[in-house]
Amino acid sequence: MRTLRLLTVGGVIAYRALFNWTTPAMFVGTLLVSPVFQLLFFVYLGRTLHVGDDLGYLVGNAVLSAALACVYGGTMAVANERRYGTLGPLLLSPLRRAAVFGGRALPYAVNGVLISAFTLTVGALLLRIPIGVRSLPGLALAICVGALSCSFFGLTLGSIGLRFRDVWLVSNVADAVLLLVSGVNVAPAALPPVLRAAGALLPLRHAATAAREAAGGAPLARLVPPLGAELGLAAGYALLAIGLLALFERGSRRHATLDVL
Amino acid sequence: MAGELAIEAVGLRRTYRTRTGWLRPRRGSVDAVRGVDFAVARGELFGLLGPNGAGKTTTIKMLNTLLTPTGGTARVMGLDVVRDTRAVRRRIGYVFGGDRGLYERLSALDNLRYFAELYGVPAREQRARIGALLDAVDLTGREHERVEGYSRGMRQRLHIARGLLHEPDVLFLDEPSIGVDPVAARELRAMIAELSASGTTVLLTTHYMAEAEELCDRIAVIAAGRLAALGTADELKHAAAGRRVLSVEAYGVTDAHLAHLDALSGVRDATVEVSGQQQTLRIQTDAHVDVQPAVLRELAGVRLGRVETRAPTLEDAYVAIVNSTRAEAAA
Repeated sequence: MRTLRLLTVGGVIAYRALFNWTTPAMFVGTLLVSPVFQLLFFVYLGRTLHVGDDLGYLVGNAVLSAALACVYGGTMAVANERRYGTLGPLLLSPLRRAAVFGGRALPYAVNGVLISAFTLTVGALLLRIPIGVRSLPGLALAICVGALSCSFFGLTLGSIGLRFRDVWLVSNVADAVLLLVSGVNVAPAALPPVLRAAGALLPLRHAATAAREAAGGAPLARLVPPLGAELGLAAGYALLAIGLLALFERGSRRHATLDVL
Repeated sequence: MAGELAIEAVGLRRTYRTRTGWLRPRRGSVDAVRGVDFAVARGELFGLLGPNGAGKTTTIKMLNTLLTPTGGTARVMGLDVVRDTRAVRRRIGYVFGGDRGLYERLSALDNLRYFAELYGVPAREQRARIGALLDAVDLTGREHERVEGYSRGMRQRLHIARGLLHEPDVLFLDEPSIGVDPVAARELRAMIAELSASGTTVLLTTHYMAEAEELCDRIAVIAAGRLAALGTADELKHAAAGRRVLSVEAYGVTDAHLAHLDALSGVRDATVEVSGQQQTLRIQTDAHVDVQPAVLRELAGVRLGRVETRAPTLEDAYVAIVNSTRAEAAA
């Protein structure tokens, strides 16, 4: 019960404490308006170059729109402890780190889902692209799984931020790399092998594939392989984040490497 | 005896490894704490004094599990700080001075709610305990305001409430009154005294001698990473026994003046404290020697204010202890 509270209540309070973009202007401008324009950009680019189809770009970019909130949010969820000097009191918690930090990814995942849903809805309305009602359950599933894996990826970057001051540089690059390798706007087949492999190991490619299949009318059973792969990535990043946090905490006790005060 | 102890440090040591430069890194080591022994009884209010960089905070970080000692052992409430880390954390609270350490965008109430979750306070007890603590630190009525708008005194009181959320047996207070105005500092002292009276063991570090003398049952002085003295305030004053202090207000005393004063016959120690334009010379001498004429001769040409001779205080004893330890370390 205590762990559940820490995961849920603690996660939500930590979100309010550490997420920089909670003011209405920042939230709307950065997390809602900006992804819609990114979506419009790629749909019109696809139309201009006569590549892809509107529905594919619409759905893919809607899934990708969660990246901003989830990657930066996950990073803020841990790295901002340094900014506030709260790392010391936090590390003095006697509770398990998986519970302390695991819950922090969840509000960002919910945030990502809401942003993706908003981007998809507004994009579909503005571009007058119909989405079949029967596609919605699969689309919702793909959006949820994508946002979750992206949040745990952000949490992994945040863990690195405990040790390395300039983690925001890594987050900026990660966001740009996701745009390139997620398969949403550039077909994986068109990428060099290294970037193609990176795309398979980074979040969102599998979720975007599932979302496109769902939008194309595929039954839920066909979404299982890509969503399973995305869930596997989510679990992998969650474990990596907790492992890095444990590693850095242990290293800090031995070598005083973290700014605990 | 061990069962009666809240804190026990034996040969506690911490060496930091340093590295400068990237292409040709130069590695070194700094001995921050060099084998410290002391014990604090349950319910005692114990002071840890020392100049900046003496090893006070490093000692506290080893006792509260944030740092692993590189030598010696430490136990808190009978639990080893290295092996029983989580159990120790359940029994201790840690409060440090300054503006940081709180979530600025959250209200005081939400800060306390979050730390209550982090420190494992049962959900059904949280509301009552947070309410009682807000009352105790006089923040009731302001608990819904964001911490970013709080004064330093309010933040410090909130820090203390945070440290007490899980009702720790031992509370580490690391310079809690730093930067706090005199009225707030007095309230803080009253709060610390109440805590101690209620049975909580308190380990307090401070730079303010009056605070240590008023509050602490016993005081340890750390200098250059070593325990230089340990006893009650009165016992520590014996370090300056057989001395008296010539205090001189001055404007324009140089290092050369200070060196000449230090070399005068009968002078045990000469220090200068600067406050704005004003300097206060404190010259400790053997009690039977009158150095005032010689001192005034050395300061010829320097604008002087009040000159007085007095008995040594705890601060004078502290200065004597620290300086003699530094001299020994340098020798």
